[in-house]
Amino acid sequence: MTAETRTDTTAPPTGLPAALEGLAGCTTTQGIPTLFAPRAGNEITAGLFFRVGTADETLATSGITHLVEHLALHRSGVSDTHHNGATAGTYTLFHVTGTEAEVVAHLNSVCASLRDLPLERLETEKEILRTEAAGRGRGVNHQLPLWRYGAEGYGLAAYSELGVWRLTPDEVRWWAQTRFTRDNAVLWITSDHVPEGLELTLPAGRRIPAPAAGSALPTTPAYIGGEDGQVVLDAVVRRSTAASLFTDVLGRALFQELRQEGGYSYVADADYSPRDADRATVTAFADALPQKQDAVTGAFVDVLARLRAGRIEPAELESAKSKALKSLEGPDVAAAALPSWALNLLMGHEIMSPDQHRERIAAVTVEDVRDVAREAWSTALVQVPGRDLAWAGCAAAPQYSPAAVEGTRHASLEDGRVTLVIGAEGVSLLLPGGPVTVRYDRCAAMTARPDGARVLTGLDGFRVEVEPTLFKGVTPERLAVIDAAVPQGSVVPLPPRDEVPRPQARSRARASGSRTVVSGSPAVPVAQPSTPGRSVLRWLIWSVTAFFTLIAVVLTLDELTAPVPDTDVLLGVWILELPLALASWSQWRTRPRA
Amino acid sequence: MSSTYRTTGTVKGPPRLDPYDLHPEMAELRTLVTARDWPGVQAFFDARSQTDQTYAASLVSEMPGAETFLADAAARHPAAPLPRTLLAYRQVVIGWGIRSAARAQHVSRDQFRQFHDWLRRAEQQLIDVCAEQPGFPLAWYVRLITARGLELGQSEARRRYDRLAAVAPHHFAGQSQLLQQLCPKWGGSWELAHGFARECAAAAPNGSNCAVLVADAHIEHWLDLPSPEDQAYMRGVPVRDDLRFAAEVSVWHPDHRPDTRWTAAHNTFAMAFSVGGHLRDAARHFAVLGDRADPSSWKYLGDDARAVFAKHRKAALAAR
Repeated sequence: MTAETRTDTTAPPTGLPAALEGLAGCTTTQGIPTLFAPRAGNEITAGLFFRVGTADETLATSGITHLVEHLALHRSGVSDTHHNGATAGTYTLFHVTGTEAEVVAHLNSVCASLRDLPLERLETEKEILRTEAAGRGRGVNHQLPLWRYGAEGYGLAAYSELGVWRLTPDEVRWWAQTRFTRDNAVLWITSDHVPEGLELTLPAGRRIPAPAAGSALPTTPAYIGGEDGQVVLDAVVRRSTAASLFTDVLGRALFQELRQEGGYSYVADADYSPRDADRATVTAFADALPQKQDAVTGAFVDVLARLRAGRIEPAELESAKSKALKSLEGPDVAAAALPSWALNLLMGHEIMSPDQHRERIAAVTVEDVRDVAREAWSTALVQVPGRDLAWAGCAAAPQYSPAAVEGTRHASLEDGRVTLVIGAEGVSLLLPGGPVTVRYDRCAAMTARPDGARVLTGLDGFRVEVEPTLFKGVTPERLAVIDAAVPQGSVVPLPPRDEVPRPQARSRARASGSRTVVSGSPAVPVAQPSTPGRSVLRWLIWSVTAFFTLIAVVLTLDELTAPVPDTDVLLGVWILELPLALASWSQWRTRPRA
Repeated sequence: MSSTYRTTGTVKGPPRLDPYDLHPEMAELRTLVTARDWPGVQAFFDARSQTDQTYAASLVSEMPGAETFLADAAARHPAAPLPRTLLAYRQVVIGWGIRSAARAQHVSRDQFRQFHDWLRRAEQQLIDVCAEQPGFPLAWYVRLITARGLELGQSEARRRYDRLAAVAPHHFAGQSQLLQQLCPKWGGSWELAHGFARECAAAAPNGSNCAVLVADAHIEHWLDLPSPEDQAYMRGVPVRDDLRFAAEVSVWHPDHRPDTRWTAAHNTFAMAFSVGGHLRDAARHFAVLGDRADPSSWKYLGDDARAVFAKHRKAALAAR
């Protein structure tokens, strides 16, 4: 899913959105739409948004936006100004607080870097990103995007930044030149004027709409099995004031039911995050003691059912409304609202003045909230610990691909029930429950190790690991078939590993893999890995055995035809033959077969 | 509650098992369901106590073919909790009939699949009923059965019971369902099962049926023990004393008022005392029961509940 396939141009609005008249100023700064409104205090804050984020990347280029953000900030790294950069799903934000001069200097530096990225820093920044990724904690809902969207678009939030291993300076420069453009940006400043001295010249480009959402979920509501101790739900709803209020009501209802009344959970809450111009993601979460987690799942289902049924106390909605109204109060309401206005302007979502927002909040009824609850449930994906959720009417998210590809079959050396297929169209892992397939033409990325290991991830999120040491007969010739078929741009070369995996007994439980594929325990004789050294050794053993057998037979015939056979010689020669014969037999049994 | 236990039945007559014979007022319900008279069924339930409603619902759930009538009633009265709950209950019974009462290892994969399909269908309607009308105890009661059949876990069953108890304290039928869940066969333990039974007995008002749970827990425990330990268990003084205490605070208490469950309660005690060889204790219950047998108590001692009841009644009464 590359963004260049969706380059419908939306003319960046230059006029002041009508709703903001009298609240905020609007102009352009070197062609970048700019919103500004004053805030009390000596310092000002500015934010420069670009409509590009992780959802615009592909799995093979993932991390490219983050790399640009890091490179753009490199020159400001040592300054004392309070600044930061953030790469989100659909936007990138450069954010700075300080005196007017500091803010100007910082923004100028960021734009100078964007115009001319310090690409000599690329390898260092890649290393930094890899280190950052290793230390980053993952959110409770890190699994769900993968299951909902697959390995593309909004699903990439579930993945590590794989592209960091392969991105070239040219690719990164091209990304900056096409995405970090003046037409794909909005600037906001908490000031009553635009400071002098801003030099934010960026290349011309186009406003790129947020990517369309794919779906890896054929049916919703759906569920996946997850870790013990937590229940997580996400749902996609139309953006609205009612949807935002629903989320608040849901969070409170979960807290009331799970924590205050049931005592099953410590944390129970819900979050509303706009996804693109039209849709928002509602995420609800509750933790649980392991012995209480079934009750947490049950109560979760019942709370949602109650809201769907519209049994919402007026007080519940009123609490949510007063919280929302409170956020619209205060002396610097306009300045506080600038980031969300700027983002809405960038995304093409409606901009509301605080007064309009208050009217919308007041107009929301219990029935509106109920309708959002129904919409949310109809799109829900729930991660439950341990058990299924079919009892509550949720379908299992697909655990297997619809079909396997044809090709050469390679038995697992760890589990007799598992077979790898390498074909002309793709690769499949045949598991006891069904196949997991990645077609080359639907391959989001393939990592490649110097030792021959290949991991293919399909756009639907399914993953097949081709480990030459763990399957029979995965020869360099078979790997070459894969390498030739996967588009070069999807190949991510990885450095050598400390240890190449060797076949070993694994618990059968792991064989029930889903979108991450592992295989199970051996039910067949464990074969040796097929390496050139092994092959030579095998032939050597067979040759020596054959030669010694010949001598033994000749000697035996000789002795048996002698008038007085020497039984000691016969016994000795056959005792020597025995271990050789056994070694040969063992090599024969475990020889690789294509 | 027209039946009072001192006026009908004899200790010599052949045992009677038919619920409509033992509780003649329930015959009207059968007539109404057969006639597909929904307003009549609704009125029948409205006029009864909670215990009798639960019993009436269990009778409807056992009526073959009632599901089409109930589905129709549910469609006609989408906001009413009773038709959907009775339909769900009927679906649970259909599903359990396919599963059979056998231990899990003797149930085929296909039986389990169908069983779970029926229970899920029931459960999804009950989720809606409980969401709309959390104060309707019968739906929570049936959800205790679906929770067990669908193996939703101990804590979820307990949550459902807590929700039931919040709107209907001392709900004996619901307590019986949770007791099943708390037995080792459904993932609980004897400590949990006996503890829960004692807790319910202690919390219940005098004369309520809840203390019968103490006997139920001992019977479950006895069923689970190998022979001859099972005999020794029921003969033991601690169990006998538990049973006596439970009978004193429930069916022998002056505040006890017979409802549709009184015959079942006496049958349980009669059976438990008989198995433990406490025949004089059993005889008191048989004397009150007369010819009123409850097959659910006697099924463990033989296929012919009538014969088993008659045999133990004879032995107990002879020991007086």
